[in-house]
Amino acid sequence: MKNLNMRTTLGLAIGTAVLIALPLVVKSSFAIDIFIRILLFAFIGVAWNLMGGYAKQLSLGHAAYFGLGAYTSTILQVNHGISPWIGMVAGGGVAMLASLPIGWLCFRLRGPYFTIATIAAAQALMLIFLKFRDLAWGAEGTTIPNLGNAPLMMQFEAKAGYYYVALGLLALGLAITYRIEKSWMGYYLVAIGEDEDAAEAVGVNAPRIKRDVYLISAFLTALAGTLYTQYIYFIDPATAFNFNISIEAALVSIVGGIGTLWGPVIGTILLETTSALLQSWLGGTIGGIQLTVYSLILMAVILWRPTGLMGYFSEIYARRRVKPAKA
Amino acid sequence: MFETIVQAVINGLLIGGIYALVSIGVTLIFGVVKIVNFAQGEFVMIGMYISFYLATQFGIDPLVSLVVSMPVLFVVGVLIQHFLIRRVLGPNDMPQIFLTFALSLLLLNLSLMLFTANYRTVHTWYSDEAFHLGGLYIPYAKLIAFVVAMALSGALWVFLHTTDLGKAMRAASQNRDVASLMGINPNRVFAVAFGLALALAGAAGSLLMPFQSAYPFVGQVFVLMAFVAVVLGTLGNVIGALVASLMMGVAESLGIQFVGADSGLLVVFLMFLLTLVFKPNGLGGGKAR
Amino acid sequence: MADALVIQNLNKRFGGLRAVQDVSFTVRENETLALIGPNGAGKTTAFNLIMGFHRPDEGSVKAFGKEIVGLRPHDVCAHGLARTFQVAKPFGAMTVLDNVMTGAFLHHRSPDAARKKAREVIEFVGLSARETTAAKDLTTIDQRRLEMARALATEPKLLLLDEVMAGLNPSEVDQAVTLIDRLSNSGLTIVIVEHLMRAIMAVAKHIVVLDHGQKIAEGNPKEVMANPEVIRAYLGSYAHAPAGASS
Repeated sequence: MKNLNMRTTLGLAIGTAVLIALPLVVKSSFAIDIFIRILLFAFIGVAWNLMGGYAKQLSLGHAAYFGLGAYTSTILQVNHGISPWIGMVAGGGVAMLASLPIGWLCFRLRGPYFTIATIAAAQALMLIFLKFRDLAWGAEGTTIPNLGNAPLMMQFEAKAGYYYVALGLLALGLAITYRIEKSWMGYYLVAIGEDEDAAEAVGVNAPRIKRDVYLISAFLTALAGTLYTQYIYFIDPATAFNFNISIEAALVSIVGGIGTLWGPVIGTILLETTSALLQSWLGGTIGGIQLTVYSLILMAVILWRPTGLMGYFSEIYARRRVKPAKA
Repeated sequence: MFETIVQAVINGLLIGGIYALVSIGVTLIFGVVKIVNFAQGEFVMIGMYISFYLATQFGIDPLVSLVVSMPVLFVVGVLIQHFLIRRVLGPNDMPQIFLTFALSLLLLNLSLMLFTANYRTVHTWYSDEAFHLGGLYIPYAKLIAFVVAMALSGALWVFLHTTDLGKAMRAASQNRDVASLMGINPNRVFAVAFGLALALAGAAGSLLMPFQSAYPFVGQVFVLMAFVAVVLGTLGNVIGALVASLMMGVAESLGIQFVGADSGLLVVFLMFLLTLVFKPNGLGGGKAR
Repeated sequence: MADALVIQNLNKRFGGLRAVQDVSFTVRENETLALIGPNGAGKTTAFNLIMGFHRPDEGSVKAFGKEIVGLRPHDVCAHGLARTFQVAKPFGAMTVLDNVMTGAFLHHRSPDAARKKAREVIEFVGLSARETTAAKDLTTIDQRRLEMARALATEPKLLLLDEVMAGLNPSEVDQAVTLIDRLSNSGLTIVIVEHLMRAIMAVAKHIVVLDHGQKIAEGNPKEVMANPEVIRAYLGSYAHAPAGASS
């Protein structure tokens, strides 16, 4: 046991060192861009996985919180000159507030209808930002004033800056997930995902636990929205509330391994690498190719490996452990 | 003013007939197979492209191509049920939701690659013709679509209430065990239900073609509408889905008339929210088991 | 002895069906009461009403002196009531230990303390050898044991057992009876729904008989079995005649 912990710690230390050193070694802007996307979407996946993976509340509406985070920090920055670092946390707060009524409505439904309700909620938010121009620039959106290298305003001349912010977020998300997974709350979440009635019967306050984990999940997703907007210097409802964000959040977790700490990270690495390879092979973009491939991967995982890549790895690991015992 | 309202109601009812074809399909699959088909809208889209190509390549009228799109989609439905859906049936929601969702994504993005995002239209002799009743305006194409949609819904109702297979489907949607007690192979019942639902979606596509452009995302509008209507009309209930679809059509049309051209969907979402607030228990199938 | 559970005039309708009609009975502390009756008599509905899974249309349920009608299941559980389900509902993907720990977290928030408590009850029900098995891979009797262990881990004062012996073979029934006896000896109050008369006779001194949602008899096993109403109810339902089941 001790030995294993030592190895885990050592692995984590080496991994962290490599990740920190990476932008110093790799100078290709294309590569750094892919790394940032991987870190960012892994982080969104981790946020989704807390609720969707552990508690099996399969939301396809996390773009709502991504968008709210993005808009909150951008409005504060563009209209009031407030730093996105503060705006990021404020966006998280706004997302948490929004998750209360949205959750109150959606959690009345179970199964596929919960999923549909979350889609509707996110789409409704997008429509609101499209329709009410006074709220935030309507359909045209706005660009974010380029201040050059201004770390205090979350703007960096080198892409590496964004890389480190994304890395920090992912580390935060994983740390929170790890803490929850090992605590009573982690057990309660899985219990709710397995059988809500049985969970209630052993004292699990399912509505409250679901509400609480939704708050955390919404908060984290909003942080990603702020970073993304700062990174692309532009915001409009179609980008900020893009359905593809909701899809990818769920997809990376399912492909990697739903309800596991590292599942979303592994899933993102696979999906984003595939997408990057496709892009470089085909040069430029053929509309639809990325999601066509994603959906094929998703179908393959669901039909043949419902526990995702993590499930596959742990099976292999278990088989390797059993064999010597038999010999 | 009064005339404007009547006109909006008529417009809404006419398009509501198409929504009904889509939602009846969704509710049929939900009732019998107990899954929500996220890809239903994409089959409307496929129905449209079938009619579009038959019209542009062979000069076949979209209304005639109904006799092609419906059987083709029926077969597609049977195959999908047999090779994909059957493998994920069970108590676990996750694979069911994400399998049909993946299917939706796949079809949508494949069509983006194959057909591009361009809008495709078919112009028929009746595309621009209309009745004028007093100040009211009733386009032929929409009227025909509405009438055929109602006829198909009626035919489905008769099928469900008079044939053994139809009765088995209704029994299956009440209680799975009853159907197997009746000695009917559930896999066959499921396959036919899925096929019929897709055939209805295909019909919706062909009926839309004379007055609506085809493009890869076109199905999404219809499927959202259908989900709301199916929840409103109580899951698994064909008549409920029909009535709710007509109501949704009217609500959307009034929204467009009185709130603004871009507000149709907003009105629909509002209705969805109100349904959730006031009729959460009417969503019996929310439990999905 | 004080009263553990006082049920008064409990009523529940589902549409036109009167699932439970004016049912009243009292469970005294540390006794084992059996709730019996033909299929569809309303036994499981009564459990669901007591535990807060359904809300009664009328009536009162007092547990240890406190009204619990209107509380949600998790609150009822926090008041010292725990149940098992007729169709076992294990958290399938979790191991046996994790299942039981989930119950233990009610009173022990730290994982170490919960694990300790969970191991205790797992040993008590005789599942220690299966600790790391996924719940979905257990045999029927082991799933029943798991249900009990998970309920016991919440440290209840009153345990409601819903047909824990259905589908068990005779020697497994004997094991289950022994287990229930040991629970009773440890001071627990038990309400058991069961079809198997042999088992009921072995564990319960106090029997309540339901038929069509109504209480038709109550008393010790001898009185109840001699009651003409009870005999008629059971003869009317071919499946579970007491004489046949006791053979």
